Amino acid sequence: MISPTRCSLTVPTRIFSLAANGSSRDPNPPSEKAFVTADVTSFDAIVIGSGISGGWAAKELCDKGLKTLVLERGRDVAHIKDYPTANLNPWELPHRGAMSRQQLKENPLISKAAGYGEDTAHFFIKDQDHPYVQEKPFDWIRGYQVGGKSLTWGRACQRWSKYEFTAPERQGYGMNWPIGYDDVAPWYSHVEKFIGVCGNRDGLAAMPDGEYLPPFDFNCVEKHLSEKVRAHYGNRYIVQGRWAHLSQPKEIHLQQGRGTCQARNLCMRGCPYGGYFSSNASTLPWAAKTGNLTIRPDSVVHSIIYDEAKGKATGVRVIDAHTHAVTEYHSRTIFVNASALNTNLILLNSTSRRFPNGLGNDTGLLGRYVCHHNYRAAANGKIAGFEDQYFYGRNPTECILANFRNLGKQDTDFVGGYTTFTGAYRERPEPADRVGGAYKDALAQPGPWGIYMYMQGETIPKQTNHVRLHSTMKDQWGIPLLVTSVHYDDNDEKMIRDWLAEAKQMLEVAGCHAVETRDNHQAPGLDIHEMGGARMGSDPKTSMLNEWNQLHACKNVFVTDGACMTSTGNQSPSILYMALTARAVNHAADEMAKQNL
Amino acid sequence: MNRREAVKTTTAFLGGVLLTSNGLLVACARDTSNASGKILTVDDQSLIEEIADTLLPTTPASPGAKAAGAGAAINLLLTDCYEPDVQERVVNGLTEFRRTCDKRTGSSFASLPKNDREELLREIDLQAQKAGDAHYFGLVRELALRAYFSSEIGKTKALRFVLVPGKWVGCVPLSPGQPAWG
Ligand SMILES: Cc1cc2nc3c(=O)[nH]c(=O)nc-3n(C[C@H](O)[C@H](O)[C@H](O)COP(=O)(O)OP(=O)(O)OC[C@H]3O[C@@H](n4cnc5c(N)ncnc54)[C@H](O)[C@@H]3O)c2cc1C
Repeated sequence: MISPTRCSLTVPTRIFSLAANGSSRDPNPPSEKAFVTADVTSFDAIVIGSGISGGWAAKELCDKGLKTLVLERGRDVAHIKDYPTANLNPWELPHRGAMSRQQLKENPLISKAAGYGEDTAHFFIKDQDHPYVQEKPFDWIRGYQVGGKSLTWGRACQRWSKYEFTAPERQGYGMNWPIGYDDVAPWYSHVEKFIGVCGNRDGLAAMPDGEYLPPFDFNCVEKHLSEKVRAHYGNRYIVQGRWAHLSQPKEIHLQQGRGTCQARNLCMRGCPYGGYFSSNASTLPWAAKTGNLTIRPDSVVHSIIYDEAKGKATGVRVIDAHTHAVTEYHSRTIFVNASALNTNLILLNSTSRRFPNGLGNDTGLLGRYVCHHNYRAAANGKIAGFEDQYFYGRNPTECILANFRNLGKQDTDFVGGYTTFTGAYRERPEPADRVGGAYKDALAQPGPWGIYMYMQGETIPKQTNHVRLHSTMKDQWGIPLLVTSVHYDDNDEKMIRDWLAEAKQMLEVAGCHAVETRDNHQAPGLDIHEMGGARMGSDPKTSMLNEWNQLHACKNVFVTDGACMTSTGNQSPSILYMALTARAVNHAADEMAKQNL
Repeated sequence: MNRREAVKTTTAFLGGVLLTSNGLLVACARDTSNASGKILTVDDQSLIEEIADTLLPTTPASPGAKAAGAGAAINLLLTDCYEPDVQERVVNGLTEFRRTCDKRTGSSFASLPKNDREELLREIDLQAQKAGDAHYFGLVRELALRAYFSSEIGKTKALRFVLVPGKWVGCVPLSPGQPAWG
């Protein structure tokens, strides 16, 4: 339990200094489930979740001078200090990077996540701690800690094109967004400048240019691939990665205490140089420096409190992760940034007389239209030549083949588009004589070049794809378990078939042999781009959120993580969450100043 | 997703870790192994290290598998990271290896001169290639390569691992004989 003195409004001079006195270490926790409502638990704004979107909400709110409380269910992770594997050589890891059989057996689900390994597992949950119910197979990948998945994300940062905002209605597979590219463009810029995104200004309609730091070079085979594909198709562009890396930091990044990316490509361990964007390296310390931030790790948000008399939300109910003591915090405005599905869970669990089916859920739409990205298809091939060309360092980015399907107009038997990530690498040689000194020395030479590709496809938001609360099963904090009911459809299958055929052809156009393609049949969710459930829209009858990410029916609650997505587009989504968050905070601050909130 | 995963699925060989394994990185419900202690006996560990060192011996370019401590690393990886059925195939395989060696040469593998050791391994490797995945020798090779190329010696003396490259340069000429990045 948090005693009022501990939870004072005194600003922590160093980030997380408050957390150091965290409730879990309180020697005399009052009886469980006791509600304590003290004035000192009041803030201008509460942010639920400290990941990519929550970190942005915190930074923007604090920059506006608003006293902000960030509630994070996981443990504290301080930049650099809490990156235990960041500076280890591969041979210094107990199993050289591999997970033990035991750990894999205990974590059959989370261990499927890309990049999960001995060096990164501590930034992912353990399966047994956080159960949910898969009505249909769904791999829900989570990282519960200060920083959330911003520590482990892949850092791809493309902008949505104007087509993606309008395609669902134009091509008849969904509802229009209440906003368009032009509404978001300045906020993309705002975010890109602060987090630092490298990339080339390629002038592509499918993937608008942003405020970029210098790109990471192609290697010679990637350059060849890009040229061949461009020459053959005319309108297929393989460009340098647009990635949240400081290829050349600017003043604003130095002010954050971040430095140049060292091309280690060990990002998912946490970067001691602050070379890539994470909440821990960037937004949270920045917010703390304003003096307006209080952050409480180990604080599981149970629900949002709705005050019928006032007709608005007045705060949140928090369960201490360790003692299970319950506390209420109050604020004028609330940002829900617990990551898409947890945001759905919190809203569904926020019941009141006014909202018996979840906060703002007058229509029964909450939890519906959950969608994801289609990551099922991949391809690779070998390519002869270029043996005398090599590279130096480890490129933390990948090349991007911008979407060329259904762009502006429909040109296939499926709807939606796909982005493709690709890159070239050198394989290990396969010497004919497989024994002895010459063999060993040959293995230590760079082998032939190979090229890989994998897809990131748009999926159709459907009412039937949904999440809901389980009627009886609860987690260890007494919160109902989430039920996931999300699956692929015929459109996804068609898109996969198309992608596989196109990828094979493009690899052959580039001169590859031994081209292999495959459908990994992975469950939805493993893309880690789950979205929707509280979609934005102009009409309260068909959507949960308005054009400013406010709940139509409860305007002082903002949802700016993936839950707000009206459709999935085909770009990596997180930078859009960040841009929408900054845009929504700006609106919230204006409305608060006008006393409208 | 990220490239690490994409490349894993292509069974490519990146960052010095062999990713073509049969039993590796696969979660399975069975676990009959002893919780404490290692799968390979002291004898088996030194035999598999001899085999590894014959596959990957010291050369003017770099120290070999024995110098890299491959035996202990193989035992640790096999014990902690591989499925019991794979462990069993390796243990039984080493018994079969001893028998084969004794039948062909009348002496223990370790006491054979280098050429005879290499010849025996080539012979067994040919059989293994014909037999396919079921043969133990593929696993022994995999373990040897994995242990060696993930060791400090393998990564820095054979390959060239640089923890902090400092920069990325996309295209540079490869000088003749230049080792691969670790
Ligand atoms: C391996 C990997 C690669 C990825 N690659 C990319 C990529 O290249 N590009 C891209 O755009 N995206 C990528 N993503 C996805 C990206 O990480 C997410 O889109 C992003 O982190 C979402 O931000 P968020 O703020 O919504 O959620 P998160 O970053 O997950 O943060 C949510 C936070 O809320 C906390 N929380 C949850 N429930 C509660 C509760 N009840 N009470 C209090 N706190 C709570 C969580 O502990 C967490 O800290 C990748 C993800 C992974 C794991």
